[in-house]
Amino acid sequence: MDISGRHEVEGRYEMVCAAVSARISPNFLERIGSVRLKHRQAGSLDISLISEIIIESCTGLSGIIIAESGDLYNLEVWRVKSILGRDFKYPQTIAERTAVELAHHISLAGLRLIRDGIDDERARSIE
Amino acid sequence: MSGEDKTAVLLIRQSPGRPPDPYKMKELVGLARAAGYRVLAEISQRRGRDHLFQMGRGKIEEALSYRPQKLIFYNPLSPSQVYNIRSTFGAPVLDRFNLILEIFSCRAFTREAKLQVELARLSYDAPQVRSALALKKRGEQPGFRGAGAYEQSMYHDIRARMAKIRFELSAVEDKGESRRQRRREQGFDLVALAGYTNAGKSTLLNCLTGSEVRVQDQPFTTLSPTTRALDVLGRRVLLTDTVGFIDDLPHFLIKAFRSTLSEISEADLVLLVADISDPIDLLRRKLIASHKALWDCNVASPIVTILNKADRLNEREAALKAEMVRDLAPYPVLASAVNGQGLGLLEESLSQHLQPLSEHEIRLPYTSQGLSQLSRLYQNTELIAVRYEEELIVRLRGRKESLARAGLYKETLE
Repeated sequence: MDISGRHEVEGRYEMVCAAVSARISPNFLERIGSVRLKHRQAGSLDISLISEIIIESCTGLSGIIIAESGDLYNLEVWRVKSILGRDFKYPQTIAERTAVELAHHISLAGLRLIRDGIDDERARSIE
Repeated sequence: MSGEDKTAVLLIRQSPGRPPDPYKMKELVGLARAAGYRVLAEISQRRGRDHLFQMGRGKIEEALSYRPQKLIFYNPLSPSQVYNIRSTFGAPVLDRFNLILEIFSCRAFTREAKLQVELARLSYDAPQVRSALALKKRGEQPGFRGAGAYEQSMYHDIRARMAKIRFELSAVEDKGESRRQRRREQGFDLVALAGYTNAGKSTLLNCLTGSEVRVQDQPFTTLSPTTRALDVLGRRVLLTDTVGFIDDLPHFLIKAFRSTLSEISEADLVLLVADISDPIDLLRRKLIASHKALWDCNVASPIVTILNKADRLNEREAALKAEMVRDLAPYPVLASAVNGQGLGLLEESLSQHLQPLSEHEIRLPYTSQGLSQLSRLYQNTELIAVRYEEELIVRLRGRKESLARAGLYKETLE
């Protein structure tokens, strides 16, 4: 999973969290089960808000949560596990890094969509 | 000065918030010995970072009581820490990264390797020179008694040299790319041996190909890639031995060695070698570091893991360890390069995971030109059948690059 928009814009944080549920082997994504996007606005940012967004995004999805260490303030794994109350790890294998990268692209695209919308020209070019 | 005369004391500072890691010091000892140092003492301390000396003053004084020629720190040292230790204790210091560079510079024999080491050294030095200049200029005014034109230009000279080396290395990279293309056209599959340093990659290369590449039980014996041909169950493979990975390497070092590492990223298959005789924590850490390095190299090809040195464990232990690293080891094969154990299984796994050769049916004119093309196809592909009719109808199995070279990659049967 990945969260985009963790920087202040006009005094507020507008974030999009993408949770990708995938089955992986050590070096490949074998199957993507689902992709979920959560939008959240906040006036300030801390670990409790981040953990809340993560838990919300991953509710109902089984398996280990994987996210970049920067997303969780570089906290040690055991601390993140106890905060989230779920099994958690930072990406270690190529497949895990690929999955996080995929989540990053999705969350960033979601954020841009919310922030900028689709302008007519771009929509036409997509068509 | 001979290698025997170099003495050093090794120092490591471990964070108090984390459990102590004994493998870090062992790795540093291995690196120091590989650089030719005789280790007089190993000193570790658990405390937060000291902004002046990295470790406590008392520990540095203790290290100096052994009268070493150098103090080698595991932790990275900032320019000001190097300056402080030198000026306060009068001791020359190295950190782990500089120690690795020292090993590399001793073993860089090819032009490419020398350039890569120089680029890595300059990439490390450039920000340090800039900060040293900033320190020097602090409080000074430009003009009379200023920093001076020579020192001012030093940083720019380094940047210019780096640009020149990058340009030369990109030419080397282009050559490497065209060499790989040529080899594919000749029908070879390219396989790269990658893995943590001192995992036994060169020994495995020697064992598989019967060559005599230099092997030693120490880190970074191989710096430049070495390629040897191999026949894997009827497929012609070129196996390339590469420089080993190590934990916590700065990103710019990987960038400096890009032309060497492109042998891994551009390979058709990567053989990830790991030492299964390592304790499980260390084995997992080395595999994670290898995955990170492979990710940095943009490897997209299949990976087969060789859990090497299986002869050092009994069968049950080896199987148990292989199970414990299953999540980090794609398609694991237990093997030993020393006694040849598991190499048959490795060959099977290799041929299974290499992209299967596609079958083609090609028509060639029944002329001298057509016959010479047929002779080339005999060399570079696997011919299944040839029918001599009005035209030569050739049914073959091979790489599309081999056919493209002959201008024949058009009529695909399957």
